[in-house]
Amino acid sequence: MADSAEDIKKAIRTYLIVGGILFAGTVATVLVATVPMFDIGRHGFDHWDMWLGLAIATTKASFVAMVFMHLNHEKKAVYWLFASGIIFAIAMVILIFGAKADPIEYKGFGQGDASIGTTP
Amino acid sequence: MEIPYVVTPRKDTGLNNSKIAIWLFLASEVMLFGGLFSGYVFLRIGADYPWPERTLPVLPGLINTFILILSSVTVVFAWAALKMRKWVQFQIFMAITVLCAVIFMGFKGLEYSVKFHHQAARLTDYVMVEGHIDYEKPAGAHAAHGAEASEVDPIRDASGEKVEMNVQRFEPASINYDVARIHKPWIEKTLAEAAVAGAKLTLASDIDFNREGETSKPVFKAGSELSVALLEDIAAAQWDNRAWNAKWRTKFLRQAWKDKRADPSSDLSEAAFLAEFPNLGALAPDEKEKAFARWRAGKRARMAADVNLEAATLKHEGRAVTYKDVKLPESPNAIFNVASGENPFSLRLRNLDVITDYKAGLTEITLRDGTVLKGKQGDSSMVFHYVDGIDFQHLVMIAESKGQDPLVAIKNSWIVKENPEVAKMWELHQAGVKLLEQDLIKDYGYEDDGVTPSRVPTLKDRYRMGWQEIAYYAEIFHQKGGYENASAADVKIEEGKYTPPRVQAQIMEQFKGPDYDHRHFIHLTIPREQVMMDSKFTPKWNTYYAIYFTITGLHGLHVIGGAIVLAYYLFCGRSMYLSNPEWLANRVEVGGLFWHFVDLVWIFAFPIFYLM
Repeated sequence: MADSAEDIKKAIRTYLIVGGILFAGTVATVLVATVPMFDIGRHGFDHWDMWLGLAIATTKASFVAMVFMHLNHEKKAVYWLFASGIIFAIAMVILIFGAKADPIEYKGFGQGDASIGTTP
Repeated sequence: MEIPYVVTPRKDTGLNNSKIAIWLFLASEVMLFGGLFSGYVFLRIGADYPWPERTLPVLPGLINTFILILSSVTVVFAWAALKMRKWVQFQIFMAITVLCAVIFMGFKGLEYSVKFHHQAARLTDYVMVEGHIDYEKPAGAHAAHGAEASEVDPIRDASGEKVEMNVQRFEPASINYDVARIHKPWIEKTLAEAAVAGAKLTLASDIDFNREGETSKPVFKAGSELSVALLEDIAAAQWDNRAWNAKWRTKFLRQAWKDKRADPSSDLSEAAFLAEFPNLGALAPDEKEKAFARWRAGKRARMAADVNLEAATLKHEGRAVTYKDVKLPESPNAIFNVASGENPFSLRLRNLDVITDYKAGLTEITLRDGTVLKGKQGDSSMVFHYVDGIDFQHLVMIAESKGQDPLVAIKNSWIVKENPEVAKMWELHQAGVKLLEQDLIKDYGYEDDGVTPSRVPTLKDRYRMGWQEIAYYAEIFHQKGGYENASAADVKIEEGKYTPPRVQAQIMEQFKGPDYDHRHFIHLTIPREQVMMDSKFTPKWNTYYAIYFTITGLHGLHVIGGAIVLAYYLFCGRSMYLSNPEWLANRVEVGGLFWHFVDLVWIFAFPIFYLM
């Protein structure tokens, strides 16, 4: 992390550049979504637009985390803490897709397991 | 006591206290928002209705994104200024950051308020209608459009409120209150309306809480006028008697059970069992045990059915009495008759307050507090003064799942069949979509097979007429002097834009919605029985708005929380700066980390909600 006045002056330049990248990224996201010329895939929204949009967002987010949040020169302990949060969040998404792949089929009340609630 | 590691890092982690704490907190925040975003994915892939794609106005969201990025830059500048011990510079950058937060919330508030005032209805055939409900106005005023219409003063109900024309009207001849559940504001409103109409509400028959020949309990005479106090008195007397009866009922039941047990026929002993089934004595011991247990349980159950509350007697005030003798009369309901005055007495009821499903010609409806109204239905139509969205996408989805032709389904929908103006609009829209198809073919051509166009209009292009489309068609109607004179030949599209024919949104319209004073829209009266569900654009409307408000609302709370902390450093940080500037710098860095995280969430929320 920048500590001396010199280092900080240098860092400020980096912050400005990253700020510029974030602005540019935002403009790019809006352009691909609203201007036909930049529309990839089919006409209108489709999964190509989704992947492109998310890719830009992830890039922007990485810049914020790396530079503004000083993750580019942070101590190991911070990486462990933050990474564990992200891993759990991703695990949650995977669980959801897992649930989607193995749906519970609803057959209406009383039409499932016939043995429940009846006397033998 | 000196707190260690507020400025100097701990040797093993290399971090000071606040740094490790904020990262722990941010890790938990990642999981919180990660969970919500996966909730969004779950709702979207599991939606049983056409997901509203790119439905929010982009401009306010885009400006808010810029504002948050700017504030992220300034907060890190503020920290850098502190590190270089430049207090004034720190103050300037921090002030800009806090100001950005305020502007962000301002735009957010505007965006929310537009949604809260925008009405949607799902009709029984799954056509969605969007627009603005008008306030009730004097007869004749509704014919006016645009600027003239907004000048007419709306009618106000007895409590001085304007009335949206999205209510169920009912003219009661009698009102039956469930005295245990009365909802006071409704009674007050009913009384106020009755006063305006000159109607009188009087108790239909005597309610006497005394046993015969007694007088200690209250008596409410037929003809007493309805008031909150009267209903509360009736409720109090009712609760009194009910509590008394419940207490005595328990006592008599207990006695009745005792009597039953003492009865010789209630012998549950094994001897009684064997007397009834003598040949079972020869069974193996465990078999016999089982049979005995079953017999006991069965006999007990039959005993319960035989317990006679009425027959039990107890000593009370020196004499034997039965439950009937001590029981006090109850009256859980109080019925009031309506005597009409000079004006018709009509109640305007919100849909969610009526639990009876709407049907034309109902003579009895039940409200949420159990009040039953008997009488006559009034006009309960839902009146859109401006329709600024007609969406057939859900109808098409359902028609296709049933193997029906979507165009036939649309043609047979109530809104197209019964409203020639809408039918004409749909005709023009189809012509517009044709033009769009041709424009796409002209620029993108066909696939290799030479038949399939490379690019085709989306479902939304085809089956949704948003406000810009409707304003465009309504403008044609206006110029032609009526919808009857408009024809498909009047429709033009702007080439290369690849949208259905539509008007261009002005800057302000991107924030506040369409300019109703200058644009033309259509007016639509929907009979209540055609409406399946209606709502403002709130979380209730569909799962898209539910998750949109959840995530953006929670994000907004983070913005407010972060801004408060940063404002605290800005306004109250001076003394700390003078005593221990490095500590303040560390705290600002930690506050900044949270602020960057807020920006990070928005970086994902913006494209997901506004552009996908």
